[in-house]
Amino acid sequence: MDALASLAQGFAVAMTPTNLLFVFIGVTLGQLIGALPGIGPSAGMALLLPVTFGLDPVTALVMLSGIMYGGMYGGTLTSVLVNVPGEAASVMTAVDGNQLARQGRAGQALAAAAIGSFLAGIGAVTALVFLTPALSAFALGFSAPEYFLLALLGITATASLGTGSAVKAMIGATLGLMIALVGTDPIQGTSRLTFGSLELLEGVDFLPVAIGVFGIAEILVSMEQTQASAAVRTRLRDMWLTRKDWVECRMAMLRGGVIGFVIGLMPGAGPTVAALLAYVVEKKASPHPEKFGHGALDGVAAAESANNSAAHGAMVPMLALGIPGSASTAVLLAALVLLGIRPGPMLLTEQADLVWGLIASMFIGNVILLIMNLPLAPLFASVLRIPYSYLVPGILVVSLVGAYAISLSLFNVGLTLFFGMVGYLMIRADIPRAPLVLAVVLAPLMESSLRQSLMLSEGSPAIFVQRPLSAVLALLVIGSLVLPLFGFFLARRAARRAGVAEALSHSSD
Amino acid sequence: MKAVNVITALTLLALSALVLLGTWELPYWAEFAPGSAFAAFWVAVVGIVLAIALLVTTAMDHGGEPHSFPDRRGLVRVAALAAGLWVMVLVIPLIGFVPAAIAFSLFLLLGIERRPLVPSLFTTAVITGLVYGVFIAWLGIALPTGPFGI
Repeated sequence: MDALASLAQGFAVAMTPTNLLFVFIGVTLGQLIGALPGIGPSAGMALLLPVTFGLDPVTALVMLSGIMYGGMYGGTLTSVLVNVPGEAASVMTAVDGNQLARQGRAGQALAAAAIGSFLAGIGAVTALVFLTPALSAFALGFSAPEYFLLALLGITATASLGTGSAVKAMIGATLGLMIALVGTDPIQGTSRLTFGSLELLEGVDFLPVAIGVFGIAEILVSMEQTQASAAVRTRLRDMWLTRKDWVECRMAMLRGGVIGFVIGLMPGAGPTVAALLAYVVEKKASPHPEKFGHGALDGVAAAESANNSAAHGAMVPMLALGIPGSASTAVLLAALVLLGIRPGPMLLTEQADLVWGLIASMFIGNVILLIMNLPLAPLFASVLRIPYSYLVPGILVVSLVGAYAISLSLFNVGLTLFFGMVGYLMIRADIPRAPLVLAVVLAPLMESSLRQSLMLSEGSPAIFVQRPLSAVLALLVIGSLVLPLFGFFLARRAARRAGVAEALSHSSD
Repeated sequence: MKAVNVITALTLLALSALVLLGTWELPYWAEFAPGSAFAAFWVAVVGIVLAIALLVTTAMDHGGEPHSFPDRRGLVRVAALAAGLWVMVLVIPLIGFVPAAIAFSLFLLLGIERRPLVPSLFTTAVITGLVYGVFIAWLGIALPTGPFGI
């Protein structure tokens, strides 16, 4: 009941005209950013974070989170109409959504995605209402060893739950930790890895890293080829589901929503993994798996429900523990810090209006997005006709002005460009960038809590397994490191068996 | 992909060595608590272990999956954009932020993208208006100005 009373208070905060306006601006920008191929919600949030400097913290956060979940809706449009995912989490939507568009059923695909995203989003925010206070109260008992292990788990889980190579994901995280080491040691105050540079004494700001690694790097990749993809020419009518479509999709939406929320709670997994998993599960559960890949409406509904639900689910550890579970929530956490708010379990009690206002704004934002994606979908589809090359200079100039605005220093602008080049090289080397950004955000908490723990134990690492909770967390960290190793050896064994089978089949020829 | 992985591993080894050498003079352990070099030492160790792991897994991988690089034209476009961005940052102290942004936008649209003149000028005007309206007028950020006073 306390949660419901707090939520009612949150609605009072979110319903003020200014906050309503910025929820609308946030979700509209998110919808547009999601629809534009080449720039994802986390990049969009990082680019637009400096714009929020003059705003009240609640207003700034409702706008930024609106970009985050609005991007999940917007990505569908490009996936269905152009067969290019607007952002990574819509990759599975492109598989069946575009096939449906080619069959003249673009309206149904977009409607299934919008309704699925809406229902899963509302379900996930409802779960968030009850889960966040409970987790936050539980986390009040955490001390330095638990915080160190939790932050470490946030990083190692990225490696084991990601979709690519675990070693490369860990390399991304290590690069992030190296960046975070630069500056003044937070405990002893000595300068570290500054190589005599006065500008580096205060360390590397998060924003130049995020804007460079996400925003500028993605633009550089998009420049490798001229953007010539054309949208499927279709009339966006019948933007609703028939009774038959609804029966086909409703369980997919439910399954996708639940899978998405659970995956969203886990550090490091995020909406892309959620959409992939929901699609695979749906293919197994579907009465017509043969349709998958050729235009399955329930495949679209499952993937879209999952990615939106995961985006909301990732807010739980961020709000309750101060540990971001995804790149987007890492940007949101950085925004909190920049706005002078200390994240962690006390956030819910110290900044109740902010947290509950933010949660209430998500209910409102999802309703606005449903309207935008059903009757107004053709309007947003028309944005796809603007050649991407006209948007690139605007994105880059706003990125660099934003980087300058952080500390009014041209050094930060240069740093942003440097990290843009680093991000580009990471994409080319197939190194995921989210672990780097997560590590930059989590490193200060990780280092200070590690050193505090060892100070308390006089150097004994046993402190990390002495309390039951820290022992469980330590086991999870070890598990997250062993899981990819296990997967690697299983894959090698399977490859060896396949090789033997192939050799046998060749010998029988 | 093998060459890319080997270059990645060697870069990580070099960066780990840089972290170790850069914090060599700092204390690893100060009387009762870990010192400034403590975290740096362990991050460098993890970096070295991961670099070796990448080298080993690359050597064990006999698949030989080819790496997809952009073609020559794509590389030229990326290099031109990167050069344009660095030149823009370098000329900001000389001509001001807004004129540098205008010059960069026109270079990108007319020089790299080969877009028609009128839409390019219109786009540049919209970008300038956006930067002025949001950052200068609304947020009150004093962007560096040049001889033109803007």
